[in-house]
Amino acid sequence: MLTRIHGGRVVDPTAGRDAIGDVWIEDGRVVAPSERAPDRTIDATGCVVMAGGVEVHSHIAGGNVVMSRLLLPDLYVSESAPNGHPFAHAGGSGSWIGANYARMGYTTAVEPALPPSNALATHLELADIPLLDRGGLAVMGNDDHLLQLLRDGEGRQAVRDLVQQTLAHSRGLGVKCINAGGASAFKDGVLKLSLDDEIPCYGLSTRKIMSALLDAVEEIGVPHPLHVHCNNLGLPGADDSLVATLEAAEGRRIHFAHAQFYAYGVVDPENPMTGGFRSAAERINAAMEEHPNATYDVGQVVFGQTVTISLDILRQFGGRKGAKPKKWVLTAGDAEGGGVVPFLYRPRGPVSSLQWAIGLELMLLSSNPERTILTTDHPNGGVFTEYPRIIHLLMDTEERAKEIATLPAIVGERSGLPKIEREYTFSEIAQLTRSGPAKLLGLTDRGHLREGAKADVAIYRDERDRTAMFSRAKLVLKDGQPIVEDGEVVAWFSGKTLSLDVEADAGMEKRAESYLQDRFGAGLDTFAVPDAAFPENTGTFEDVACRA
Amino acid sequence: MAAWVKGGAADVDAAVEAAVDLLAAARVPVLAGLSADVSALRAAYRLAETLGASLDPVSGPSVYAELGALSAGGVMTTTRAETIGRADVVLVLGNRPWDGDLIGEIAAAAPSRGRAAGAERALLSLGGPQNGAIRHVAYAAEAGGLAVSLGHLRAFAKGHLAGEAAYADLAKRLFAARYGVVVYDPEEVGELGVEMLQGLIRDLNETTRFFALTLADPFQGRAAVQLSAWTTGQAPRVGFGRHQPEHDPWRFDSARQIAAGEADAALWLASLPAPRPAWLGSLPTIAIVGEGSTEAAGETADIVITVGVPGEGVGGALWNERRGVIAYTEPKGPSKTAEALTASGVLARIRDRLIEKGVSC
Repeated sequence: MLTRIHGGRVVDPTAGRDAIGDVWIEDGRVVAPSERAPDRTIDATGCVVMAGGVEVHSHIAGGNVVMSRLLLPDLYVSESAPNGHPFAHAGGSGSWIGANYARMGYTTAVEPALPPSNALATHLELADIPLLDRGGLAVMGNDDHLLQLLRDGEGRQAVRDLVQQTLAHSRGLGVKCINAGGASAFKDGVLKLSLDDEIPCYGLSTRKIMSALLDAVEEIGVPHPLHVHCNNLGLPGADDSLVATLEAAEGRRIHFAHAQFYAYGVVDPENPMTGGFRSAAERINAAMEEHPNATYDVGQVVFGQTVTISLDILRQFGGRKGAKPKKWVLTAGDAEGGGVVPFLYRPRGPVSSLQWAIGLELMLLSSNPERTILTTDHPNGGVFTEYPRIIHLLMDTEERAKEIATLPAIVGERSGLPKIEREYTFSEIAQLTRSGPAKLLGLTDRGHLREGAKADVAIYRDERDRTAMFSRAKLVLKDGQPIVEDGEVVAWFSGKTLSLDVEADAGMEKRAESYLQDRFGAGLDTFAVPDAAFPENTGTFEDVACRA
Repeated sequence: MAAWVKGGAADVDAAVEAAVDLLAAARVPVLAGLSADVSALRAAYRLAETLGASLDPVSGPSVYAELGALSAGGVMTTTRAETIGRADVVLVLGNRPWDGDLIGEIAAAAPSRGRAAGAERALLSLGGPQNGAIRHVAYAAEAGGLAVSLGHLRAFAKGHLAGEAAYADLAKRLFAARYGVVVYDPEEVGELGVEMLQGLIRDLNETTRFFALTLADPFQGRAAVQLSAWTTGQAPRVGFGRHQPEHDPWRFDSARQIAAGEADAALWLASLPAPRPAWLGSLPTIAIVGEGSTEAAGETADIVITVGVPGEGVGGALWNERRGVIAYTEPKGPSKTAEALTASGVLARIRDRLIEKGVSC
């Protein structure tokens, strides 16, 4: 069926488009303007037309996400849903996640923490998120098998083969390292770790582990660069960790997760841990300018109650006493494990206000929004449904000033936010939420509206109230089919889980089997994610090719 | 596959149709048992939502001893492999952990990874069977039971009680651990005991690393908890009577609902073995049970449908106790009958027919 989306303001920065025009769709793809009469015309007059949004870092599935629901059963509210999808109104459920992303015009979302030791459950959960294409990043950097190989100096080929075998078995879309070596060190009594500190028992450092993973990701040709969660998240002076890690990449492609939580410069060098922090947004962005190999997502903070979820058990242990309410779950797992710690970003509190300001400052100082991707590190900085409000603040100086006026003076004293007059354009919003994340994930078929793109399209009414505009899309197409109309889900499309098309090396597979049998008394079959486990979702997965 | 309606052999289509009629006529149906693979659990949740029914896993007592303490105060846990690989001190609570092969495996190995590698492993017990088969240092439980014993142990650990008592010695041993683990069965220790124990673990982590390794129930309860959490945002027990998932362990306790006369129909799902509920036969019931099980007989319920046993005649994603995760288990061999039905398939067919018939809760 040939569809013409007519008369809207088409915003596609990858094609230099920001003007009234048409988008043509056929068989689930964007096609060239046609001479033929369309079978369907969608009137987008008065609307903004963008590609579907792409999420690179949101905790939407996995053991710790499940644990967060058990720890804080009252965080979300379920509503009555007499019609439609059975669970989309069940607060915090997978269906709720899919529905709420779709209503905002998002059509792809990636869970950044797919633990290879618990891959099947994570994928079963991802597969139950409707409306979106999904994916997960396999987490490495703390597992004994990898650390052994590195300790024993087995060389690049062995590390590459292990990473590839792990990706193949966990069906990841990319690779992430989380405070590399930190979970292992934590189990051996370490409570603070920096880039070159020794990981007990292995004689390694975060730098060495990360560097090996950076090489492996390049050699395998993973489209998404290594996704890095640095040391010392959230501590004053964490900017040093991010910049040092950036330099340690030595020009290799690298993505930094939730940079806001590292943009904390020390206020008092004499008392770094007690003197508080100030915005290091300028420093972080200057470093990014110098390193075109790097990208980051923001991890914007929003005010209110949330729950932090991280495989960085060292960090979560350190933050446990700041839990509100005062309870937490920490799991010393088979590699990372993780921690679930409830947290309240106190409305108008000085610390949370400064964090809020730093995230916005990062985006507003960015010279290239494609390398500055909008996330809240859901739910760590806040729930993803706050994106429209964040977009509003980026696009509207007046709205920003109103909000800043309600916050304590520390926002002006320790961040440059109040002085920034920049307003994001629609094109820049599209870079921040569409083309940037799609390019970062190496998904060339989305994030834009050029010929050949997947027909994932979001149409918004051009309202002055950007929060309202981006909260409830007028129309969302997934693969060319309407899934949302006037902010409500109209069809329960089941998307695909995107996984990298890699095969495990036979030699490493044999070796891994032997290692796992020795350590677990169970083999690779207990780590596998076979199609047969998804009986109701035949065709759950879609392959993504490696880089040539 | 075998099926029975009112005690008489029936084909599966007829049994499904009878099940649809039974459920369609019910006002307050309950889905109980839920000892099944993940896809069957998933199908059960969808069926319950369609019917406005409630769900109650047979693993309830174990699940609640753990979940109550978890949502009240949190937990600190580790895995079986980390315990065997890293722990230099292991405290075994109560009797249940001694039943399987876990403690034997722990006792047979010394720490091989981490800072305690090469050290001797101290195996301690509190309130155990003291049968002497495995060498360990045994501490007796107090007359008040495990929860009271744990309270006293924690008081000694915190310095709130002092003296030459055995528990003072035990507390010292725990603090001396470099990677300590306490192994227990939540159902045996009870919610109060688990809460006290997790408090003790938090105290120990002020100076060392100490975690819990908890035994799972044998009825897929942990898989059900995960599936329930990502499907409804809540743990079981869950009811859908008001068009939204409501988590309420008391209200949706199937035995209580049936005894009180609140429920007027039941679906018993046990494609994997589960203890037969006492209420079977006391209200109109459908049983979906594993082929070859003792329940696979016409007299079990009004309608009985046998299905392949996950991990035996059919594959399935199941809780793997050794790994502590959901893992896919291939069928061991061909089903005893030519084409094994799966529980998820049967449940989906019942739901589809209910929707076709326009039944809504």
